[in-house]
Amino acid sequence: MNVGLACVDGVGMLMDYLEGTVPPAEREALDRHVSGCPRCVAFVESYRATPRILRAATAAALPDDLAPSLRRFLASRR
Amino acid sequence: MMADPAAAEGDEALAARAAAGEEPAFEELLSRYQARVYRLACRLTADEGDAKDVLQETFLAAYRGLPAFRGDARFSTWLYRIATNAALMHRRARARRPTESLEAFLPRFDAGGVHAAEPADLRAASRADEVLDRKLLAEKARAGLDRLPDIYRDAFVLRDLEELTTAEVADLLGIDAAAVRQRVHRARLMLRGYLSDLVGVKP
Repeated sequence: MNVGLACVDGVGMLMDYLEGTVPPAEREALDRHVSGCPRCVAFVESYRATPRILRAATAAALPDDLAPSLRRFLASRR
Repeated sequence: MMADPAAAEGDEALAARAAAGEEPAFEELLSRYQARVYRLACRLTADEGDAKDVLQETFLAAYRGLPAFRGDARFSTWLYRIATNAALMHRRARARRPTESLEAFLPRFDAGGVHAAEPADLRAASRADEVLDRKLLAEKARAGLDRLPDIYRDAFVLRDLEELTTAEVADLLGIDAAAVRQRVHRARLMLRGYLSDLVGVKP
């Protein structure tokens, strides 16, 4: 069973794998494949880094003038 | 100096006091969430003007809606729902220009299903934040999000950037958890390839 798991299959399962929703047998097959596949190890590393990098790069700070203007706006409508 | 007692109070207790008309409690909630709501709005709309409007509309709706807020839900979830809906409304109102799809950045495989790229190239996206100037990466990240089809973008922003749980995102978007995972996965694949491209490596 699952002898022929290829990189493309692993990529298709990756999100579910990381979320813990993959059944144990498939999980083991994926673990076996990745442990012997430097390409998949590298891919998983970059897949996991992607949310972190985008999170940091899109963390817009509240502009200084916005907090007071928000309070003025709310005060004018209460 | 005395610590502000409101600062240690839970969101839901503050919301109950704010609903009863206590202004300092509302002010504390505002201070706690204004930056998060603004950040979420920027990520969903990619427009600072829209984000400002979303921020105002969200807290006005929260202020008016607080008496109907039920204490059995988390205040943050309730507020995120208001903010997300406001952001999506703004985005819909804006005619989106056609953008070049990120499909080209999906991973490539050979006929046997093996990754077409070598390990060093497959890893390249992980180094985007080391290789690229911070300001440039911020601009490109925003442009990348804007190039994602909306359904992928919304799921990715809420799940991966705002770090809500899959169940919370499913509830907010009105889809099931499997659909959230599928959309987030697709967004991660495209953005991973996009980051790779930014550092000069074919994904």
